[in-house]
Amino acid sequence: MWKKSSDRFEYLQTLVTEFQDTDIEEAKEQVLANLANFAYDPKNMEYLKQLQVTDLFLDMLTEENENFVEFGMGGLCNLSMDPECRDIILQNSGISLVTNCLSSQREETVLSAITTLMSLLTPLSRSEITHPSILHCMLRFSLSESPRLRNLAAVFLQDCCTEEQVAQAEQQMQGQQTAVGIPLPQD
Amino acid sequence: MAAPVGNSSGCWSVPEVYKHHEQRKVCISRPKYREGRKEKAVKVYTINLESRYVMVQGVPAIGVMTELIQLCALYGVVEEYRPLDEYPAEEFTEVYLVKFQKLTSARAAKRHMDEKSFYGGVLHVCYVPEYETVEDTRLKLQDRRRYVIRTAQNRAREKEKQERSNEDPTTSDTTTTTEMTIVEYDKTCDSDNTGEAQQTSYMSHYSSFPPLPLPPQEHNFYGHTNQQGNIQTEDKMGTLHNAIINTKQQLQKSTSFSQNSSDRDRGTEQRVTPNQASAVRFVPRTAHLENRKRKMAKEATEISLTDVSGKNEPLIGPKLPEPPKLDMEDVSLNTTVSLIRNTMKQVESVPDLKPLEKKIKPRRRI
Repeated sequence: MWKKSSDRFEYLQTLVTEFQDTDIEEAKEQVLANLANFAYDPKNMEYLKQLQVTDLFLDMLTEENENFVEFGMGGLCNLSMDPECRDIILQNSGISLVTNCLSSQREETVLSAITTLMSLLTPLSRSEITHPSILHCMLRFSLSESPRLRNLAAVFLQDCCTEEQVAQAEQQMQGQQTAVGIPLPQD
Repeated sequence: MAAPVGNSSGCWSVPEVYKHHEQRKVCISRPKYREGRKEKAVKVYTINLESRYVMVQGVPAIGVMTELIQLCALYGVVEEYRPLDEYPAEEFTEVYLVKFQKLTSARAAKRHMDEKSFYGGVLHVCYVPEYETVEDTRLKLQDRRRYVIRTAQNRAREKEKQERSNEDPTTSDTTTTTEMTIVEYDKTCDSDNTGEAQQTSYMSHYSSFPPLPLPPQEHNFYGHTNQQGNIQTEDKMGTLHNAIINTKQQLQKSTSFSQNSSDRDRGTEQRVTPNQASAVRFVPRTAHLENRKRKMAKEATEISLTDVSGKNEPLIGPKLPEPPKLDMEDVSLNTTVSLIRNTMKQVESVPDLKPLEKKIKPRRRI
């Protein structure tokens, strides 16, 4: 079926067109998931870039439908390790959009967001990605009951931040903790 | 073959049932052109969902563990395995945890064993990344990153070759830059891998790193056999010593990667622009308005980002990742709990005040 690379491009283009033309939420979700899965294979990067799928995924992050957010974030997670896609995301103010997804209720969305942030790390973006508020968030994640979240947050803190940064963030968190010493049940 | 239940630590503790273990309903409403060969659910796979740890459910409880592991071993080296007795299983079936040496093996095993019959039962195979250690997770991400970057480099090189044959030979400038980046990349590779053997193991890994869930495509999983031969020395569980070295390398790498990309960007700039132009031509995107709106919103947030100090900065992830867990198993008790909690929240001036201590089990007080 994929004898020629142009076939693959046309197929992906059909997907993008369907996504834009259809008003059926379900179909949109399916196509979005499809595109996000295609983004897993680096061989498709070139086509997806041409079709501006990176922008499409970024658009999804502000949608109300949680499935859209999850699939879009998953697609970005898959794309963002490619240097050119990373630069596109960075140019389109991707960091703040992705950071917002850290607050999602869905674990998959949060995990994709953390991995994407790690991929977006460049000397230029470092200060924004290792902003104290994100570090605090990661420190909280590293106490989570979910092993996946805990591990990923640990990798972020160990690999993307300096020890001083983490220590400083921990100190700030401690200050907050002692304000009221009663541990509340987590809701 | 590895022995069941290894030396390792907390990753072999009491299992929990997670949502991603479930088999989702297959989607039946796809139009013809999007139908794959197999019925599949609507789900996005990322590197986070994948793992070299795999759980096999639905194994008939008739003492076929050896046969199961032999079947698994067809797809790659099995490092450890054990029955998950505590995991809720259907009647007369067992659940097994299998740890492959390579993610690619786990992927092949899942693809070939999931929903296949086995001694009268139907297997359900899923990744269980929650059994990974921090080091496992790190290596998994590193492998994926290397693979993606390598593919990008190959692509750039191919393009360049094509262009060189098409155009005038004045592009020697760009060729030298790519060559330099390649050399640079190899250097980082060398510093990562201590031995020649490991280097080659990575190579074979790349070549057999197949794309994941593309519907209408067949993949061949050769290459396990020579993987088996090469990599016995590699210890992926990772010691503290390893971890320290890795963080340093990570830093090194990230800088050199970004150099690479900026180098390449210079090289590809001329090509990217026509591509984008053509994309605009046949893909009418309505996202530009959205984009502008987003940029304005972002500028607004940036202002608020810059002028706050560490204390009262915007809180990211205010809803903590932990889903509602405290259930008093009584409606009125729950109401009381939430009432108290809300009052406490009002009393606190600090918006996010979460206990540092980890809750091991939901407390039940009556």
